[in-house]
This record gives sequence, C-alpha cells and structure tokens, in this order.
Amino acid sequence: MKASGFRPERDMQEQRKTFHQELEQMSADIVRLAAMVTELIPRGTEVLLTNDLREAQEIIEDDDVLDALAVQIEDHCYHVLALQQPMAGDLRAIVTAIRLVSEIERSGDLMVNVCKGARRIYGANFDPKVRGLIEQMGEEATKLFRLAIDAYVEHNASLATALDDMDDQLDGLHKDYIQAIFESHHAGSIDLQAAVQLALIGRYYERIGDHAVNIGTRVEYMVTGWLPEHSGAARLQARAAMEAATQREHEEQSGETESHTDNPTTG
Amino acid sequence: MTIALVVVVIVALGLGVALVVVAGRRRGLQAEVARLERGIDDASARTTALEAERLRLERAFDAIPQGVVLVDDQGEVVVRNTTAAGFSGARHGEALVEAAVAELMTDALKGRVATRTVDLFGPPRRTVVITATPISVAERRCVLAVIDDVSERRRLEAVRRDFVANISHELKTPVGALGLLAETLLAEDDPAVAQRLAERIQTEAFRVGHTIEDLLELSRIESGELPSREVLPVHVVVSEAVERIRPAAEQAGIVVELSDSGRDLTLLGDRRQLISALYNLLDNAVKYSDEESTVEVGASRAGESVEIAVTDHGIGIPVRDLGRVFERFYRVDQARSRRTGGTGLGLSIVRHVVGNHHGDIRVESRLGEGSTFTLCLPAAAGVADEIAATG
Repeated sequence: MKASGFRPERDMQEQRKTFHQELEQMSADIVRLAAMVTELIPRGTEVLLTNDLREAQEIIEDDDVLDALAVQIEDHCYHVLALQQPMAGDLRAIVTAIRLVSEIERSGDLMVNVCKGARRIYGANFDPKVRGLIEQMGEEATKLFRLAIDAYVEHNASLATALDDMDDQLDGLHKDYIQAIFESHHAGSIDLQAAVQLALIGRYYERIGDHAVNIGTRVEYMVTGWLPEHSGAARLQARAAMEAATQREHEEQSGETESHTDNPTTG
Repeated sequence: MTIALVVVVIVALGLGVALVVVAGRRRGLQAEVARLERGIDDASARTTALEAERLRLERAFDAIPQGVVLVDDQGEVVVRNTTAAGFSGARHGEALVEAAVAELMTDALKGRVATRTVDLFGPPRRTVVITATPISVAERRCVLAVIDDVSERRRLEAVRRDFVANISHELKTPVGALGLLAETLLAEDDPAVAQRLAERIQTEAFRVGHTIEDLLELSRIESGELPSREVLPVHVVVSEAVERIRPAAEQAGIVVELSDSGRDLTLLGDRRQLISALYNLLDNAVKYSDEESTVEVGASRAGESVEIAVTDHGIGIPVRDLGRVFERFYRVDQARSRRTGGTGLGLSIVRHVVGNHHGDIRVESRLGEGSTFTLCLPAAAGVADEIAATG
C-alpha cells in the first residue's frame, strides 16, 4: 500500500521539524552575517592605521556581499512568517531576526565608512595618542559586537541587558578621542580637514557600540518579550488613565455644583 | 480380530513413520537453528569488528591536527573529526570557516578541487586554508574537505622573510653610505668639508661596528652557551643598568626614576648578561620617550620569581606589532628607528638572555600612552638573608 494517506499527527510533526530547521537556518545566517561584521571591525581599523588602500577598496567592495546576505535573511524571515504563521517565542525570534539584520548590516556600513574616511585622510600623520585611541575603540567595538552575538546565540538576557553599561567604556574612549583630536589640531599635528574626518571616524565606532546595545535590547525582547519601549508605553497608558480619572472627577464635581445651584429654583 | 490386528499394525507403522519424520524434521530444524545461531554469532563478531574498526578510524581522524570532513553525494556528513567539529555551529570568525567549507564542498561535488584561504582578524589572528577534493568511494562521489590552520607557518615565513630583508638593509645602508662618503672625501679639497665627511664616516663606521657587535653577542647567547651562575642582589643589577643609561637619559631630557631597586631580593644568573638585558630595555624606553617625560624602573617579588619592570610614557607599540618586537631587526617604525639609532637587536638579545636564565619577558603597551616591559627571572631562594647578613 502506498503511504500517502492523511496522517495529521505525522504531518504536523514534519511541519514542525521543517519549521524549526528553518529557524535554525535563520539563526545560523544571522551568526554568519554578524561574523562578517565582527571581522570587519579589526580589519577596517588596521586599514585606517596602516593606510592600506588596497584593503580599503576590498572592504568597500565586500559590502555588497554583506548587503546580499542581509537581503536574503530578511526575505527568508518574511517567507517563514507568511507560510508558518508562528506564535509567541517563535514569532519573537523571527521579528528579532528581522531587526537584527538591519542593526548588523548598518554596523558593516559604518566600517565601510571608516575605510572611506581612511582614504580621505590618506597621508595625514596623526599622533600616537590618537592612533592608540583608535586602536582601543576598535577593540572595544569588536568586544561589544562579539558579546551581543554571544547573547543572541545563547539566548542570554542578562548579558544582553548588560551591554548598555558595557558601552559606557566605548563612549568614554570616544570622548577622550575627540579631546585628543582637538589637542592634536591645536598642536598643529593635523589640519582641520583631517581633524573633522577623524572625528567622524570616531563617531562611526561609537555608533557600532550603539548598534551592539540595540542588538542586546532585541535579544532581551526575544527571550523575555520585554522592550524598553514597553515602560514608556505603560507610562503613557497610566498617564492617559490618570487624565481620564481626573476628567471624570472634574465632570462629577461640576455636575454636583450644577445640581446645587439648580436646587433653589427646582425646590 | 485379524482385521483389527492389521489396523493396529498399520496405525503403529504409520505412527512410527510419523515419529521418524518428525524426529528427522526436528534434527533438521535443530541444525537450522544451530546454523542461524552461528550466523548470528558471525554477524555479531563482524559488527563488533566493524565497530572497533570505526572507532579506530575515528580516533585516527581525531588525531589529525587538521580538520577533516567527508560528505557523500547527498551532502550528508560521513566523517567529521574533532578539529572540524570545532568549526561546526561556531560563531564569530569561525562561523566564516564553516560557511566557506560548505561552499567549497558544494563546488567540489561538481567534480573540481576547490581551495580558499580565510584570514581571521580575531583576536587572535588566524589564517585557515580550506581544500575540498572530490573522491570516489564504491562508485559514489564523495567530497573530502581539509581545514588547515596555517597561522604559525605564516608567522614563521614572515619572520624569515623580514629578517633577510632587514639584515641586508641594516648592513648595506651604512656600508653604502661609507662608500659614498669616502668617494666624496677623495674629491674634496676644502678642509672643513673634508672634516665633516670624515666625521660622518666615523659615525657610520661606529654604527656598522655596533650592529656587528650586537650580532656577535646575540649569536653567543643563541649558541646555548650557559651563562655563569652566581647569586646576584637585584639592586646591584638594577643600579648598574640605571647608571649606564643615565647620561643618555639626561642628554635626552628624560628622568629615570628608581621606584624600588629590590634591595632585599636576589636572583641567580650571569651579572654581565642581566645588566646588558636591563640596559637594553632602559635604552629603548629612553629612545622612544618624549623630552621631559619619565622612565620608571622597579623590582618586586612575584611568587618564585623576581620581576623587574621598565615603564615609559612614550609613543607605545601598536597591538599588531606586540608579538613581533622581539624579532631580530624588527622595527615598528622604520623612519623613527633610523633617527633614534640602535641596531634593532636589543629586544632580541633581551629575550635570549631571559630564555637562558629560564625566565620570561612580558610586554604591555598602548599607542600614545607608553609601554611596560617586565623581566621575570627565577629568584635565588633562601640566599637573600645570607647576602643581607654578610652585608
């Protein structure tokens, strides 16, 4: 007998199996996209510090690979959403994947901007303190990005939440870096154009840290279902409820006053 | 009666025949069961042998330092050794290796060898070469991928390549300058210019002489010649090295601060070599510090070792060069090294001296903030008090 009858339990199991394989594939693709960006951070930093124009060009061209993979993952997410109509945790995992793709892809763009900046200041000789701070910002951004992906892979909400505080280190370095650029420009080591480009480059690293924090926030949502915006939304709801209550009270009071003033005439 | 007897006989005969047949069948069945049992035993023995063989092969694959993955024509993994399994489900840079292996295997299933080099910036930095080769097993096409971590090989190649380039540069440059200066001197009539040229020749000759001296010193240390061992008070080693560097430091406007000379510490080693090693560290610190900055020296006890640290607040070393500064003739900044002088062998000599004393050297540095080099040398246990007592 040909095995082709309707077997709801088995069909359901197979569907679930395929669905979970799709989720695993999605997660693996996100990890791969993030790995490409995590590698770009030290690679781009080296381009900047060594004036390596050839490598800069390669990184700029490789951005197309990143973009293609990002589009592929996003399409896959929409496909799964449309066909499987997931619920609860699975739905959050897919929504998170869609948000993560844009955060990761944007971080890759920022490293491409670093390389473009390196080309614009080619030949500028910036002092060791500025170079040291660029090196440190690169290390810190790499660390944050790696930890954000660790949190995603391990479904680690605590680590994801801690990223916001960890980012303070990178913010501090960015502040020192801007100060060092001012000092360097003041001492005549770099011209204004190079100073502006260097300041922009510092901003790119700082933004990568922010994207890592955003990844953490999204991972926290995936694991717990909570977003920082929920607090804001709850506050808004509470405010609206309070305003409605006050309004009601006010209306009641004015109603009572009207009835008091009406009494003599009616009585 | 007779009929009854005949019937009984026939029945008895029938029963007899039936019994014989049953007995025969039973024997046949028993033989069949025995044969089946032997078959089961054989199959079981074969399964055990195959399992042992599989385990042996698995262990052999796991012992291979390279990652090995074998997939069949359906893309199912047949073999994946431990090293290769390390890349499976990996994250960060290693995830790119896994993706590259999958892509190359897909290519190789079409019948061509595929190779790719993946450079991972880490940290740590790694270079992985992946080769996927199509092979045929029992008329089925399979693909074998080999993942080879060539980081150490690449590093050694870079060290050798740079050494040859640097040594020829360090020796050829002053010799070329000497030739040109001598040629100009021969054609010069003005005594003042001739004087200047002669002074330049002297400087260049001194420079090449210094390089050769350092090379000979390094060669002596490298030859494994055991240093003479004596119990040395650490403060003597530190003070002598500091006194040797002080004139150069004062000339450069740099203050050498002795935070702790390790007065009650002792170590076992060769006095001349150890002072030379510490002097080299101080010399570097002074050369790469800015005017009016300080260089700090301090000795302390750390478990069974004595640590002597030299800290400067100079230009620092980029992270990517930290692992290479102890190589012979390695320069972080060629242009600056030429201005500051030196042979490019100082740190290499330090590393070999420390190695000869079964010690270690550490370096921590930040660009623009400075560097700390720490010598870790085995302490001379139990003799500190004696030395202190004998004054």
